Amino acid sequence: MALPLKPRLLKLQELTCSLFNTVYNPTSAHTGNKILKQRLIGPSIVNWYPTKMIKLKRISDMFPDFNLVDQDEQRRLDDIARRKRRGKGAPKKGHGRRAVVAASKKK
Amino acid sequence: MSLRSHFGVLRKAAVRRDIKIRQKVADSELVRQAYRYIIRNETLPPRVRQQAQLNLNSFDIHSRPTSIRNRCSETGRARGVFREHKLCRFQFRLKALSGLLPGVKKAVW
Repeated sequence: MALPLKPRLLKLQELTCSLFNTVYNPTSAHTGNKILKQRLIGPSIVNWYPTKMIKLKRISDMFPDFNLVDQDEQRRLDDIARRKRRGKGAPKKGHGRRAVVAASKKK
Repeated sequence: MSLRSHFGVLRKAAVRRDIKIRQKVADSELVRQAYRYIIRNETLPPRVRQQAQLNLNSFDIHSRPTSIRNRCSETGRARGVFREHKLCRFQFRLKALSGLLPGVKKAVW
């Protein structure tokens, strides 16, 4: 004897679900599967800002045996040394313009 | 290119905060989603679901994904940021005009 229409349709649905590996939920109860299906956003969220660039100084501090040379820094130091040789270096503490003016005022 | 974001010397405090929040969200996401699943699942006993609700509420406020703000990756500006390029509108313009954004071209007609 044939079943009435609705139970037959339900049976069909159950069979379809078992075939296609989906959830059989005839009463459409809230199971929260929606949340399990959601993609995790964590990995993409964390990488929004670019990572900090590592400076050469940090690497050379970490590995002092490598004797890495920072060319810009070397150039700067050479420049300072050259200026000092010509007597154009930065004044010592307490010998600058302001210090001299203050000393002359005191007199 | 701005020195700020590139060398990480002067990041805005807001950007630093946002980085922290992002890390928190990413760390707690899996557990939060599990609790959310339990809460939404009406086939589970109400007592369990209520407990899950309480546990979810006990998380740090900054572990919520809504507390994240997409800021400009160059300047840290919070408004007018294009999601696709992670840049605010002015930085986008500067970079696009100098040809740093592949596929972006100034419209002329």
